[in-house]
Amino acid sequence: MLNLLRKDFIALKSSLWMTLFYLAVFSIAFIPRSDFSIYFVGIYTAFASVSLVTMIDIKNNNHHFLVTLPVSRKHIVQAKYITAILFMLFGVLGSFGIHWFVKLAFPQLNKPDYTVLDILVPMGILLVLTSIYMPLFYALSKKGAGIINAVFLIALIIMAQPTAFMMTLLNENHMMSSNLLFMAAAGILLLFIASYYVAVTLFSRKDM
Amino acid sequence: MNAIEIRNLTKAYPLFTVDDVSLDVRQGYITGLIGPNGVGKSTLIKMMLGIVRPDSGSVKILGCEMPKQEIAIKQRIGIVSDDCFYYEHLTIHDTKKLVAPFYDKWNDSKFKGYLDQFELSPKKKIGDLSKGMKIKLALAVALSHEAELLIMDEPTSGLDPVFRREMLDLLADMMQNERNSIIFSTHITTDLDRIADYITFINRGKIVFNEAKEDVLERYALIKGDMELLDSDIRKEFIGIRETAVGFEGLVDNRHKAAQLFGNHAVLETPSLEDIMYFTAKGGRVHA
Repeated sequence: MLNLLRKDFIALKSSLWMTLFYLAVFSIAFIPRSDFSIYFVGIYTAFASVSLVTMIDIKNNNHHFLVTLPVSRKHIVQAKYITAILFMLFGVLGSFGIHWFVKLAFPQLNKPDYTVLDILVPMGILLVLTSIYMPLFYALSKKGAGIINAVFLIALIIMAQPTAFMMTLLNENHMMSSNLLFMAAAGILLLFIASYYVAVTLFSRKDM
Repeated sequence: MNAIEIRNLTKAYPLFTVDDVSLDVRQGYITGLIGPNGVGKSTLIKMMLGIVRPDSGSVKILGCEMPKQEIAIKQRIGIVSDDCFYYEHLTIHDTKKLVAPFYDKWNDSKFKGYLDQFELSPKKKIGDLSKGMKIKLALAVALSHEAELLIMDEPTSGLDPVFRREMLDLLADMMQNERNSIIFSTHITTDLDRIADYITFINRGKIVFNEAKEDVLERYALIKGDMELLDSDIRKEFIGIRETAVGFEGLVDNRHKAAQLFGNHAVLETPSLEDIMYFTAKGGRVHA
């Protein structure tokens, strides 16, 4: 398992700077303009990074090579889910860190006080997105995976404003009760676990 | 003992089927898997390796069951293919760093030795390697983790004649250890004329034969003679026949019977593996 994680970082070596680039670009784009920039920067950076780490394996049909190594397909999928979680944490915590810094350095931007919820909400949204994305990635061919990436990117852009509106409504009406949050968290975790098993099953059956 | 045991392996595609294939690959020998392009050689190898999942049947490699014990199996086998699918943007050095930790018996000095021997610079990017160089790299990787079984899918197709011979010598060296085995798929049968002990011929998704090379070459015969020797009954004796303006040449799979049938009226020659493949694949009558 560690070897597969290591493999991802070796394969990404020359493109790891892209994750920092995403963080910088999305920060510049959203922080001055959106009240929910902490979510958008985290989600966009993390999801773009997850796309980067998945696409690296199919650029040259590298799954064909990976399945010849002494690892099972289940481990290949497992490692990718772990790498995805690492990049989600990077995006969300990176966004949190930048917003904390912006609040200190640029008070004129009137950024609010951030709480743990501002880490958990984007993390939850990312877990849902990844839960849908990963099984599709493992089920589809190289071309299909490229299309899925584009579809997700467009969907993220389209969904940004409605999500912001919904978040405002939830905040204004104090609908975020601890019970609701707990139920949502449990549901998201179950979805993520189910997604992993579906991805393993799909990838295990796939002919290279 | 068998290095590979395949039983009733079947995989159906819309236009092609590997049909109920059973095959034993002997341990300690080089087995050549021959057949024209697109008859199922690569599919069979991919099924052995778990790259393609069979519809039915079973595969045992080095006594372990696929896919149940695939990690243990893949520690003990080396795979060389004309499609290696390494990460194109990485250098050979990066690729080594990526691959080596997966193998318990990785031998770094051996790998460096092979890179020197094959004149591959560790700084070179995979994407900049020619097809032949990629095969050399795959061979270096396969030989650097003490593989007991080398599974090679069309490894010589992109190689120049000099390295092809060099590679065959390397394979012969590997076979100094009686525990080691090689299965070598190719349509360039001259390579197998040199090194193979056993030949498995696959045609249209079915095994035609799996025998010791010497037995195959003794059993088959290439008959050359004048057209007047041919009538409808005689034609039925041939697996494949090629007719020209000056006569015919045809392949039979029973040299003894052919010798009795033609006596001194025709010339009986030992066919090459290529002759056997050509006439079997073509079948019937071919006009030149």
